[in-house]
Amino acid sequence: MSTDETQSQAFAAAYREHYWAVSRYVARRTAGRQAYDEVEEVVAEVFAVAWRRRAEHPSYSLPWLYGVARNCMANSVRGQGRRRRLLDRIGNHETAHGTHLVPSPGTDAPGSWVHEALGRLAATDQEVLRLTAWEELDVGELAVALGCGRSAAAMRLHRARRRLREQIDRMGMTVTQEGP
Amino acid sequence: MTDEPELELLRRADPVPAGDPRWRDRPLDARAELGLRRLLAAEAASEGAAASAPRRTARRLGGLVTGLAAVAAAVVAVVAVLVLVLTGTGTTPAVAAPVALRPLAGSRGVPLADVAGAAREAAARGGGTGTRRGSHVMMWSMGMESGPGARPPVILPEEHLTRWNADGGGTELVVATDPRHPGKPVISDSGGAPRTVADGAVLHRAAYPPGTLPPYGRSGTEPPDSAKEMRGYLSQVYGCACADTPALLDALTSLLHDWTPGLSGTAAVDELLAAAPGLRPAGAVTDRLGRPGQAYVHDADGLRRMIVLDPADGRVLGIEETFTRDQPEYRVRAGDVMSYQAWMD
Repeated sequence: MSTDETQSQAFAAAYREHYWAVSRYVARRTAGRQAYDEVEEVVAEVFAVAWRRRAEHPSYSLPWLYGVARNCMANSVRGQGRRRRLLDRIGNHETAHGTHLVPSPGTDAPGSWVHEALGRLAATDQEVLRLTAWEELDVGELAVALGCGRSAAAMRLHRARRRLREQIDRMGMTVTQEGP
Repeated sequence: MTDEPELELLRRADPVPAGDPRWRDRPLDARAELGLRRLLAAEAASEGAAASAPRRTARRLGGLVTGLAAVAAAVVAVVAVLVLVLTGTGTTPAVAAPVALRPLAGSRGVPLADVAGAAREAAARGGGTGTRRGSHVMMWSMGMESGPGARPPVILPEEHLTRWNADGGGTELVVATDPRHPGKPVISDSGGAPRTVADGAVLHRAAYPPGTLPPYGRSGTEPPDSAKEMRGYLSQVYGCACADTPALLDALTSLLHDWTPGLSGTAAVDELLAAAPGLRPAGAVTDRLGRPGQAYVHDADGLRRMIVLDPADGRVLGIEETFTRDQPEYRVRAGDVMSYQAWMD
């Protein structure tokens, strides 16, 4: 079997195994109305980038794909196909500036105010926390996704957790309550 | 209780849990499978060129019942036309932001139900070319950035021609052009940063071998002919929550990139639009390709969506999205057009 064939097979296997996990990653980060088509489009970009980089990173681990996805969703919003993300960002912008603030944590579903607290953190802190809580990455995997060392990832997670706790406290909630 | 209470709270606030029916783990669906096949096939077909820069629009696929020879001829014809307009190439890029369509003064809006009725009557009379997989679309879209060092928005005009054959093979062609400014250079962000390219520059060209798509015409593949079934189709294939009008318009946009509906399919689309909450007649317009149509608008999310229909047969001529609020972060103002798509056949 040629190197190209081996690479193609490895890529196809990773694509089949991780497609939906990457889709969830993208869907979680498109706030508000989640257009299926838009998520699919970003996921297609993620795997296209992964395919282009097969020579330098042929393993296609899920944390690494999350890192690719993070870059794909980064700052630039270009073209019609990404307009949904722009709309979502507009919505987030308004939230951040108080337009859509909930009256108090107790008046809304828990998800709303936790998201509100999360949204008050720096983007880097948010991503560390999401990768840990939603993608269920351990510290080693977090380091791969963030492209940093294990100790740096652990430190970033520690700080982000502390800042999230502080935000929740400021909203008048306790972080030790039992679940519903 | 947990030793990570803040993380536990966050876990419980996961907006897309692993069991979400749209994104749960399962074998690839047809579209995901197609994405994989296309990625690998394009690489093989173009020796790296196409797959190394898979465009965001390239996944919008469609089909055709004619043979590959006819497809190739059509592609060549389009390229030829676009190359011909280069003979008058100017030096100023066609960058002006498109002006939002305005209904003609004094024109009366035609109720959507009337257009849908006309479309259904046209379908009953028969004729037409039937549903084809593929589309021919002229797109103007605004490229935007935010944050430090963000570049100002630019208009990216592209013409997309996609054709698929009964055997599952097909072609895609994307060129940079703006028919409102023939011969003028245009801006493209193909490959990353925006740059000026000649009118008619080929941005993407790919040929896909037979079997890339499932066999054409197989039951369940094509969009259906009734509004009820079309609603289900949009939900299943495009994840559309079609009671929401913006979501419906988004899904229809995707559908019309993938397919060119026949008369019955068009009637089904119009019947869905006629039932869409908040979508109201705005009057007669002349679209950017000079065609008369009836406009229908919906306002939500800081955006006005306008869909333009041919009142004679209900065919969708175009969809425009215009900001209704300033967005300083992206340097756009209320009234700026974010995107306009005109279906050409």
